[in-house]
Amino acid sequence: MRSGSESRRRIGTLARLLALAIGTALVLSFPQVAPNPYVLSAGVVIVNYAVLATSWNLVGGFTGYISLGHGAYLGLGAYGTGLLVTRADVPSFVALVIAAAIVAVLAIPIGIASLRVRGASFVIVSIALVLILLLVFQSWASFTGGSNGLVVPRPFPGLRRPEHHMVFFYLFCALLALALLAWWIIDRSRFGLGLKAIREDEDKAQALGTPTFAYKLAAFVVSATFTALGGGMYALWFGDLDPIFQFSILTGAYMVLMALLGGVRHLFGPVLGALVVGYALEYFKLEYGDTQLHLVATGVLLGLVVLFMPDGVIPAVADLYARFFKPQAASIREVSTAELLAQRAAEAGAQPGGGDGGPGGEPGGTSVPTSAEAKR
Amino acid sequence: MISGSLLFQSLILGVLLGGLYALLAAGLTLYFGVMRVVMIAHSAFLILAAYLAWYFHRQTGLDPLLSMVVTAPLFFVIGVAMQRLLITRLRPATRTMMSVLLTFAIAIGIEGLLGYVFTGTHRRTQLSYSGASFELFGARVAVVKLIAFGLAAAALGGLFLLLRKTTFGQALRATMQHKEAAELAGIDTDRVAGYGFGIGLATAAVGGTAMALDVTIYPSLHWHWIGPLMAIIVVGGLGSVPGAAIAAMLLGVTQSLLQLPLGTTWAQTIFYLALFATLVFRPQGFFGGRLAQRF
Amino acid sequence: MTAATTSSPPVTDGLRTVGLTKTFGGVTAVDAATVTFQHGKVNALIGPNGSGKTTFFNCVTGMIKPDSGRVTYRGRDITGHAPHRIAKAGIGRSFQLCRIFPRMTVLENVLVAARRTSLGALLGSPRGRAEVDRARGWLTRVGIEHLADVEARNLSYGQQKLLELAGVLMGDPETILLDEPAGGVNPALIERIGTLVRQLNAEGRTFLIVEHNMDMVMSLSDHVIVFDRGRPIAEGPPSVIRSDPRVLEAYLGV
Repeated sequence: MRSGSESRRRIGTLARLLALAIGTALVLSFPQVAPNPYVLSAGVVIVNYAVLATSWNLVGGFTGYISLGHGAYLGLGAYGTGLLVTRADVPSFVALVIAAAIVAVLAIPIGIASLRVRGASFVIVSIALVLILLLVFQSWASFTGGSNGLVVPRPFPGLRRPEHHMVFFYLFCALLALALLAWWIIDRSRFGLGLKAIREDEDKAQALGTPTFAYKLAAFVVSATFTALGGGMYALWFGDLDPIFQFSILTGAYMVLMALLGGVRHLFGPVLGALVVGYALEYFKLEYGDTQLHLVATGVLLGLVVLFMPDGVIPAVADLYARFFKPQAASIREVSTAELLAQRAAEAGAQPGGGDGGPGGEPGGTSVPTSAEAKR
Repeated sequence: MISGSLLFQSLILGVLLGGLYALLAAGLTLYFGVMRVVMIAHSAFLILAAYLAWYFHRQTGLDPLLSMVVTAPLFFVIGVAMQRLLITRLRPATRTMMSVLLTFAIAIGIEGLLGYVFTGTHRRTQLSYSGASFELFGARVAVVKLIAFGLAAAALGGLFLLLRKTTFGQALRATMQHKEAAELAGIDTDRVAGYGFGIGLATAAVGGTAMALDVTIYPSLHWHWIGPLMAIIVVGGLGSVPGAAIAAMLLGVTQSLLQLPLGTTWAQTIFYLALFATLVFRPQGFFGGRLAQRF
Repeated sequence: MTAATTSSPPVTDGLRTVGLTKTFGGVTAVDAATVTFQHGKVNALIGPNGSGKTTFFNCVTGMIKPDSGRVTYRGRDITGHAPHRIAKAGIGRSFQLCRIFPRMTVLENVLVAARRTSLGALLGSPRGRAEVDRARGWLTRVGIEHLADVEARNLSYGQQKLLELAGVLMGDPETILLDEPAGGVNPALIERIGTLVRQLNAEGRTFLIVEHNMDMVMSLSDHVIVFDRGRPIAEGPPSVIRSDPRVLEAYLGV
């Protein structure tokens, strides 16, 4: 039985690696199959969203601190890169890295101030941050160009538009891979376990010895840095910055929506969310032109996600599937008499004095332990 | 050098503005008090009411203040419906956090609808008395601002009377202070919470109508208000409605006074500065008293 | 140290408070409480409702900052320290309304408490051989090892209480503070918890138990401290406390 579950696990891992390889191949071949430059640029936008959503998830998903103001770091990264290139004559990609480093440093005092409060207070602070940055960047026209915007020269001036989009498509993919790698490393690490404990019960985590503030701050800074990288890369690609689009609560809302929709507990959840929401946004822009209906759509979608699928669309769909097609499996507490007797015997053997028979549960009160025992 | 009369003028304007802020902050406090819900859509409803008042005036030629006869009860019903149908669906454990996201979704939904129906063109209500003002100890006070303040003061006064003198008000205060105890005392807290929500949204109707007299409105205007409003309730602390009102007055006057040296845009930063200062030094707010809570 | 006298002097190299005070609004919850807990023993903290036990407990464990006074452990001042520093100092605590991490597995719940060895180890896996073995060891000790891969929210309340205990023990605390361990559980489980406490105490761990269940207090503890109106009014062995008129007065409110 042991070798059976081992080989099953190996097949599962192999299948997942295969799916990953296929998916990567599909993504990387997209520029080749895109029918026109517009579709290609839409692809770039979606990969950009995927980067942003995954970056947001580094703090939002792990710690449960939901920031609606992540647009602040996007804007700082974008303007940082743009200003370094235009005013300090720094080469494009060097400017990108320096801007991200500056944001990382700024994120420390911002995080120290914001992370002192929890829950809804934290969300409000994050909104306040992006609003005040919007105010500053709009008003400080002499430095930032204000509402006239800032033009960022392209890093590869010789390229025609389609090639320009293609190059940046791959650059964004590389950035996405980096962000996903960071998420993956944190997810399976002790640091990640501590972060998840903070999400579940912050006081309890602290009582168990986790230095919660330091952990939260670290995740916050990493998240802000990657978001800034995404913003800076966008500045280099798009070339035209305006405070109202860079320091945007709406973009921050998109990040949250994408991560929540796709599922915050999964590596590719935000990517999935970015695909769905990004595509929907492009569709709305095409069908309904410049009207504000995409706002309504975002609002409705976010509302639906919050009300009905706060864990993401995949668990919600799986739940629905289980309820319709496998009604027996939906109930967790079902245990057959034989299994119950076996559990009681096992427990009595482990601890002299009998089982606990605690309120509301049989000793070992769920059906899952049987499979857990079988695994051993 | 800023002249004394200019200073006095700014002070008066600040008081008038503070009154309006106080009414709006009171509404926000109600939502949080009854259901621990942070209602980011409050300012969006404010703008919606302003649009409705403007539209009413444009279509009928009547004074936009009359639109309140329809909008206030309408918003009350919407408020009750929101609480019963949406808020109660949220899991209690994460309700405060999720309410932020949910009401945020409602806010951008409203903004989108307004933009779709009325387009992004800036709108302004022109009335026969729009330009009128009168003298008050050397300060020029616009009549519309005074009316707005009067409305806000009346509404706040009405709210105060409701909370203090009526049985329902008592039930509402009990629910806000200690839900379980109120339930034990036989109060139907769910219904009270629903009405509390409705009242909160009705104050948005009043405030929005008052705004329509004097402010140029456009769909994304609500973002200019939600920042200051959130700052006010954090600074005031989620205690009694008076706590938020005090903070509103204080910050409104300060903002108005700061407009003299700094200009309108930079004067707005006072709210964010106050917000961050509160979080650093006294996260539970300054004026809330014993009832103040951290979100 | 002087030789032991007929009435053994209280051991002072453990947890103590000096003049601890905490006020909420107009109410003084803890009033200049000076307490010395006996190291190596099972201490019990009892008192009527509203006597300030829980506030005192929270001040000691770092959940609340006291207004004045000191908390020391092993001679080191830990007043107002953050809870995780107090945990690192060797003091573990459970919560009155049992707190666990609902959507993590039982095993993961316990692994959270594993001591971090170095900064580099942060990015390493939390499921190292040694830690997992230790975690499973504690789970076996409390009797829920067979539930290791179950999500904690699916456990019964009694099982969650045991899980919480296992998590606290994983941090290898020298002193363990239990907040109403018998609250909300059936007599069989109370019995099991009591046995565990006795065993762990015999192995050298100090206990401080806040409890209302008098049977448990009397049968389990070596030293009882009675709180009333924010300060200790009596302390001593259970047999003495049981018949102390001041204690009866405090409980009966005469």
